[in-house]
Amino acid sequence: MKYIFFFIVSLFLAINLHAKNPVSSPTFIDIIKEIIKDDKYIFDDKNIELSVPNFADNPTQVPIFVDGKKIKNATRMILFADLNPIPEIIDMQLGKLLPVVSLNIKVAQETPIRAMILDEKGVWHIGSKNIRSFGGGCSVSSSEAMDTDYSKYLGKTKTNLFQTSSKDIHRLKASIFHPMETGLVFGNSEFYINKILVKKADEVLSEIKTFSPISQNPRFTFETIDNSKNYTIEFYDNDGNEFISESK
Amino acid sequence: MKALIFSIISFSFLFSSSFDFKLKPIKLSDNSYYFYGKKEYFSPSNGGDIANCAFIITKKSVILIDTGSSKEYGEQVKKEIRKITSKPIKYIINTHHHPDHFLGNAAFTNSDIYATEFTKNDIEQNGELYIVNLVNLIHDAMDGTRIKAPNQVLTTETLNFDNYKLKVLYMDGHTESDIVIFDENSKILYTSDLIFNKRTLTTPHANIDEWIKSLYQLEKINYSVLVPGHGIASKTKEPIKENIAYLNFLENTLKDSANKGLDIFEILSKPIPKEFEDFAMFKEEFERSIINLYPSYERNVNK
Ligand SMILES: [Zn+2]
Repeated sequence: MKYIFFFIVSLFLAINLHAKNPVSSPTFIDIIKEIIKDDKYIFDDKNIELSVPNFADNPTQVPIFVDGKKIKNATRMILFADLNPIPEIIDMQLGKLLPVVSLNIKVAQETPIRAMILDEKGVWHIGSKNIRSFGGGCSVSSSEAMDTDYSKYLGKTKTNLFQTSSKDIHRLKASIFHPMETGLVFGNSEFYINKILVKKADEVLSEIKTFSPISQNPRFTFETIDNSKNYTIEFYDNDGNEFISESK
Repeated sequence: MKALIFSIISFSFLFSSSFDFKLKPIKLSDNSYYFYGKKEYFSPSNGGDIANCAFIITKKSVILIDTGSSKEYGEQVKKEIRKITSKPIKYIINTHHHPDHFLGNAAFTNSDIYATEFTKNDIEQNGELYIVNLVNLIHDAMDGTRIKAPNQVLTTETLNFDNYKLKVLYMDGHTESDIVIFDENSKILYTSDLIFNKRTLTTPHANIDEWIKSLYQLEKINYSVLVPGHGIASKTKEPIKENIAYLNFLENTLKDSANKGLDIFEILSKPIPKEFEDFAMFKEEFERSIINLYPSYERNVNK
């Protein structure tokens, strides 16, 4: 009984320590320090709409959707999952993109996920959600998970442009065949898309860093207020490959 | 705090006896019965009892259609059948490869187990994985469950079990191979998971177009009672019509949304259509279906 009492007391202490963090975790402080150093941050679930499944049945393909359009003139957006062995997911220098992204990720276990958006005053706004899952997604080999013949499909891309319900916002959906190996499975070295450039002719609208917890055969949704009919998306992987896709 | 209470509860479970499914066979005709599975998802509290299975008592033996999700469930099915007849359970049919329909095989050591070659192969290849997944979802009720794969491959259109004849219909859509059994003696149609009655369809291995085709075939059959894979038995064609409507709704939603460039969560935030409001598990299964199926529809835009 003494132990139970002690357990409850320490639980309350832990909760109080992270009073402002809506989904606390033991790794959050370390990760955020590493990514944004001493920058200011606030928890801001009001202005960041972060959607995750009620339960992620398939830990290798967990859809995530972030809409941070309420934060005006945002300059950068970073997504990370606290309890993944490789926490960082995507790091976008927004440029002419809005703070909106949709993609699928792998989760190693049930984990909080964060969407951090940097506003024009240099303050990070953090949206938080918990992803419920039995996990295992980061240590499953991609090629085992699905027997796609990569020699045939590797780098096959597709980009579509859509008009959204808001007249001046355009949505880009891009997909590419790529195994996105984390390197966490013994015998598999890491092999993943690590950079994406969104371009209009020669102008770079946004530069995006991506990490291996993004799911196999990634699909991305971005939004822009740029009003072009044609965009080019360039994908780079850590093996020096370059894949180019033009919007339809 | 929740976690603490939970761990105390699970601790006490360690000392309790095996899960009690409280099974009660429901009579369909003189010689036919089914066990009704709850219209829920796998959970420790239902012990995995979420699918129907059925049995037919013939002159010399008992035919069992599907065996539930665990050895313990199979054992309790056996016990309930024993209360009605002492005839041997000689024949088992596994309608498809989903774990809530075949893992009870483990309880039947002296029966011949029939399935299509596809189903038999899938059970042999992925059976262990299904058990691991269910241990995560159900916990203790899975104790002792091992893979017992079918030992007989279904190929004929008629089965003759000790002179009791059954019609076998080879269909697909819910999986790549779904067996429907029509008992012309009693006019009872055992549809397996091609039909869920008032329970939202699950689609992890589904092909929507094929499924709809199969449902139109089933609609033509003149049955007295339909025993679905999930949900209560029905004397009408209503469940078939409702399932066709749901699959059409699902497919149209996927196609439309992909053409408009919607995101998964934008699809999921729409209100539930009135006609499906009384389906059990709508929100959960619709979310699963959209997450699983949408990427392929997105890839096919403009193709
Ligand atoms: Zn099934």
